[in-house]
Amino acid sequence: MVSKKVSVEVQKSGKIVHNPELCRGCRICEVACSAYHEGICSAQLSRIHVVPDDLALEFPAYICQQCEYPSCYYACPKKDKSMCIYIETGARYINLDECLRCGKCYCACPFTPSLIWVSEENDKKMYYKCDLCRGRENGPICVEVCPRGALTYAKRGKLK
Amino acid sequence: MSQLYGWMGKILRIDIGSGETTTEDTSKYVPEFIGGKGIATRIAWNELKPGIGPYDPENMLMFMTGPFTGTLVPTSGRGSVCGISPRIYPTPWFTYGTMGGDWAAELKYAGFDAVIIKGNSQKLVYLWINDGRVEILDAKEMAGLDTFVTQHYLKEKHGKRSQVVCIGPAGENRVLWSTIQHKLSNSIGDAGLGAVMGAKKLKAIAIRGTGGVRIAKPDKFIKICREIAELIKGGSTYYPHPIDLPFRRPIGPENQQCSHGCPLGCGKLYKNVPAGITVGSGTRNMMSHCEDLVFIHGEAETKYPTKDIKGIYHGDMYTRETKAFGEMIGTELQALCEGLGLSSAFPINYYPWFWVCIENGVTEIEGVKLEPDNAKFWAEFMRKVACREDSFGDIFAEDMMRAVDLLDLPPIVKKAAKFQFPMWGQPAHRQGRAYESQPSPLWINTMLHWIIDSRDAMASHHQSSFVVGWFPPHNEGKGGTPDSNMEKLKAAYKKAFGTSEGIEPGFENIDGKTRLAIWQDNRAQIKDSLLICDWVFPAILHTFPSREEYLEAEDYYGDIDAEAKMIAPLTGLDIDTEYIDKAGERIRNLDRAIAIRNYDRSRKIDTTGEWIYEYPEKSDGTKLDMELFNTILDSYYGFRGWDKNTGRPTRTKLEELGLTNVADELKRLGKLSMT
Repeated sequence: MVSKKVSVEVQKSGKIVHNPELCRGCRICEVACSAYHEGICSAQLSRIHVVPDDLALEFPAYICQQCEYPSCYYACPKKDKSMCIYIETGARYINLDECLRCGKCYCACPFTPSLIWVSEENDKKMYYKCDLCRGRENGPICVEVCPRGALTYAKRGKLK
Repeated sequence: MSQLYGWMGKILRIDIGSGETTTEDTSKYVPEFIGGKGIATRIAWNELKPGIGPYDPENMLMFMTGPFTGTLVPTSGRGSVCGISPRIYPTPWFTYGTMGGDWAAELKYAGFDAVIIKGNSQKLVYLWINDGRVEILDAKEMAGLDTFVTQHYLKEKHGKRSQVVCIGPAGENRVLWSTIQHKLSNSIGDAGLGAVMGAKKLKAIAIRGTGGVRIAKPDKFIKICREIAELIKGGSTYYPHPIDLPFRRPIGPENQQCSHGCPLGCGKLYKNVPAGITVGSGTRNMMSHCEDLVFIHGEAETKYPTKDIKGIYHGDMYTRETKAFGEMIGTELQALCEGLGLSSAFPINYYPWFWVCIENGVTEIEGVKLEPDNAKFWAEFMRKVACREDSFGDIFAEDMMRAVDLLDLPPIVKKAAKFQFPMWGQPAHRQGRAYESQPSPLWINTMLHWIIDSRDAMASHHQSSFVVGWFPPHNEGKGGTPDSNMEKLKAAYKKAFGTSEGIEPGFENIDGKTRLAIWQDNRAQIKDSLLICDWVFPAILHTFPSREEYLEAEDYYGDIDAEAKMIAPLTGLDIDTEYIDKAGERIRNLDRAIAIRNYDRSRKIDTTGEWIYEYPEKSDGTKLDMELFNTILDSYYGFRGWDKNTGRPTRTKLEELGLTNVADELKRLGKLSMT
């Protein structure tokens, strides 16, 4: 018998790769991402967070790695309804309509900081993460708008 | 009140004297005044009454953003700071500055379109603005700290995602050319407002926000922003395509944008440059841009046509090749300058002036030996100025014109200073005489901007001078492009305005030139209100990613409707280009009304610097005589709707712009045009 706790293997996903050597912290990706997903230009509501150290000239960014074994997906009490896998790209995404807002995905993310973001909206927590711009014709918008080629979209199977 | 799109809807007002904070609805001022400098000008008209001096508690330091700030609009991360500036010579008056960086976007994310500070604090304080809340906190631990350490300190305290604007020792000591500094080299410089921040005893503002700017029609907005980003991707309009100049390179890892949301990279990056040669140790990071490159690269000497200028070249018409200290020492000097909080545009004017002193027998001033070719001299100079140390530092902590007034110097040396700082005590900048050449007719436009504006106008009118890079080679080959195609250039202007008279060389069609100048000036107001980059907008011309594409292009025309096309879907308001142009005119006329009401600005004051145009332009030898000058100014005032004798706006013009109450007040004071 298969224990309920054993993780099932899920389809692999592409992911966004950020190159801090090319990035200069213009943060166009953030405003494009939040404009596309939320209709708001905001660093906080972006799925990618660029946190430049302007004085040291270092430009790290944080974005979901679309893990091969996605802890967030396994942690979700409503998987495939709330935390879902997008067939075309393999993106792990949150369907907010079904989301219980329990925060288990947020806590399960193995990265620090968590690459699932949380924001307060009307006293309700909203969890959101990179969904590789699911359904967008030209692929992820952050990759498209980056003026420096610092963001690339590695399709599934093409990354290590 | 329904929530606005584009604007955050709230203006934060703080009296740091009493500690009282209030908020005000942005909708009182928009869309009529757009944002940024526009709103600041409206508030200044309402509240900065005649008689208020730069250091009085009633003076306001206004940190402004615009509807575009913090959005996807390319180059939009800019903010503007306005207030009464002690720097303006001879009369301190209301002026403005703009800078890039991330603070303005962060301020909007924190929920505010602007922070307006009045009152003077008794002790050194800083503001901590965090998601709609504000605290006035003690800053005594930061007294005397340089701008980099101050930023580090506050980022440690409030998180590295906070954004900090601050003053250095120079601002604290009310040096007239001190800056309000942000990041490595973003600053409000020659506006002189660092000294006002110092007078208010406000060391810094730290900002953190997690909100965002709402977009009325996101899909449409994203689409148009992408199109405009494509249009400007060849870089600033200084040259048709990238060339090997520090600020016109093809975008690469060596370059950095100066603003949030900018897809270009005009700034040259210096990372981990070894230091320790003259002033410090370790390594240094710096971003250099234009005039702040002078310590590093020097500035080539550009000669005047000797046949016209013979006999007076040395002395009052003085420029000189500026010493290049190279990457290591130059970066270090620039870092010292930015760290102390001094305007890094200064060496281009001070260097040749010190040489005029030496060549006219003044080898030391107030006991300090002048050694402009020695990096240590500059390091000492900046330190003394920032701390107002000894009488030497104290005197040069005033702007150059006031310093020269205080010193006993030969007349030729004093006149040379005036040549470097021809109007409003502001450094010569792109007016076609002291440094960059501006062959006819371009200097006519830049001249008009200089004489109408409240400061060095070229900080927000680059559009009128940058087109010089599209002209044929001039100035001994140091300007223009060998690939110039004037016919295509004229065609682009014709497409934009129905006529190309504005950029045709010579003195024919003066009206065409003054009308273009008025359009440029109105758009400058809009640019500083929206806010977007002066090196790119308004995009009469569009730039090309490569020389080949430029040569093959059928058409150079950019898109002068770009601003309207972006603001409409952002705000959901029915704003078109006509509305934009009218709003620009409104802001300029209101600024003019402040100048007239508070400072008796008049045709006479406007023309105090016209003498510089009686010298020939250095590349084509064209110059003004007084008759021609008066024809040009009459034409300008005429199209402005201003009285030709006094330079005051007419009631008709003010009413047309919805400024009836302004006309009434000017009338009450006897300062409205009689016609």
